[in-house]
Amino acid sequence: MAETTGNSGLLAVRLVTPDRVLLDATAESIELPSMSGYLEALYGAAPLLAELGAGEVRLHGGSSGDQKFFVAWGFVEVLPERVTILAETALHPNEIDRAEAQKELQEGDKLWHAAGDDGAKYDEANAITREAEEKIASADGKSS
Amino acid sequence: MANVLDLRRRIRSVKNTRQITKAMKMVSAAKLRRAQERAMQARPYAQMLINVLESLVRRTDIYNEETGEILHPLLIERDEKNVLVLVIAGDKGFAGGFNSNVGKAAQKFIDRRTAKGQNIDLEPIGKKAIGFYKRKFPAAKYEKTEEHYDNDLSTHYETIRHRAAQIEVAAEYPDLLLKTAFSAVSDLAHSIIQRYERSEIDSVYIVYNEFKSVLQQRIVVEKLLPIEKLGAPSVESAQEPTEEERDAAVKAAQSEGISVHVPEQSEMEEEAKKFGTADVDYIFDQSPEELFSHLMPRYVTTQIFHALLESTAAEHAARMTATDAATKNAGDLIDSLSLTMNRVRQAAITKEIIEIVSGAAAL
Repeated sequence: MAETTGNSGLLAVRLVTPDRVLLDATAESIELPSMSGYLEALYGAAPLLAELGAGEVRLHGGSSGDQKFFVAWGFVEVLPERVTILAETALHPNEIDRAEAQKELQEGDKLWHAAGDDGAKYDEANAITREAEEKIASADGKSS
Repeated sequence: MANVLDLRRRIRSVKNTRQITKAMKMVSAAKLRRAQERAMQARPYAQMLINVLESLVRRTDIYNEETGEILHPLLIERDEKNVLVLVIAGDKGFAGGFNSNVGKAAQKFIDRRTAKGQNIDLEPIGKKAIGFYKRKFPAAKYEKTEEHYDNDLSTHYETIRHRAAQIEVAAEYPDLLLKTAFSAVSDLAHSIIQRYERSEIDSVYIVYNEFKSVLQQRIVVEKLLPIEKLGAPSVESAQEPTEEERDAAVKAAQSEGISVHVPEQSEMEEEAKKFGTADVDYIFDQSPEELFSHLMPRYVTTQIFHALLESTAAEHAARMTATDAATKNAGDLIDSLSLTMNRVRQAAITKEIIEIVSGAAAL
């Protein structure tokens, strides 16, 4: 169990999904894909609550080295010494099925074209497209 | 009277049956353990979500101060005219009264509501419930319309529901219990929320087997929408098992070494309770109102997810109890058959001896 003491300078990071607690580690810094763009938190960060969009959570330094996770939707609480991420889906980049993501991308495209004048449907289609794009980007990132 | 050979054959067959039920019981016990674990592991996420929502409620006013209007569509209470009922049963039988009890509880609820003149939409989950309701009630009819815009560059689809009967099966979810994947549950929740927001349905109830532990299980009808209180679903009605049923369940669980009490809270769960509630001024990346409206649908999803996980655990527990009883009955049957067989054999031997003795006496 990763316990941080007050002055270790490491953030305690937890990644919680609906199924289980996926990650319980420490990190020097963490990058988060918030809805309004990527943000990075270091030890001693100001308390923050933010919604996460589709993208990669990246951990730097810390007990288990650099780690990346793809999250589709989530919510994060940043405290000076602790970061807790709620993620609806969280995948290791190796676990991403690229073909599946490609299919989702096409699906999003199709929905976008079928949305007509319904604003909510456009948003939905955009969300699916974005998630698929980020998924593919994340999957490709591991090979480079 | 049956002869020894017949009896021996029957005993062998019952012994085989006993082995099968014994194996089924062990399998169910293992599955129950896994299901319980899954339900446990799903708790931190749900807890954290509730925490954030609660802290957001404290920070933002969900009521408009001037008009007193509720600001989130999932909190609005309407006159209940169209009621959606989700019924969670199992995929397989051989689980005692598991499937039929859920069906009975649902039927009671439906009867009460139809008497008030409300329309019922049924959405069964699990193959047993689907089979049952499809035979009993007509399926809802939908009409799909297509409209073309901009010289056929884009198409707009719309589905219109034509209600013909007071009780209809609106949709069915046969594969949901196979894996109980969160994404699949999310799709279901999404469709329900959409219909609720469009006022196609005015309230949503869920009928399922609540399973806190082997000792604490009951069939409940819970109100899913509108949300009355966060973190504490309002129970419309609940049906506790009888003393006998509970004893049987406890005995079956104990013989497999499964704890009958609610498992202790994990450290993670304790931590989860603190999520989002630290005594500091948080910076909000988005406006609290926006966060609130994005989190609400997720809350509904976790509620359904939770119900599915508990129902799965309850199903395995019910199957374990049922197969335990079957194993015991098979044992009793073997005993009584063995007794009869021995009697018959003894009778045959006695008869032979009498014949020999009386034959010798006649000489």
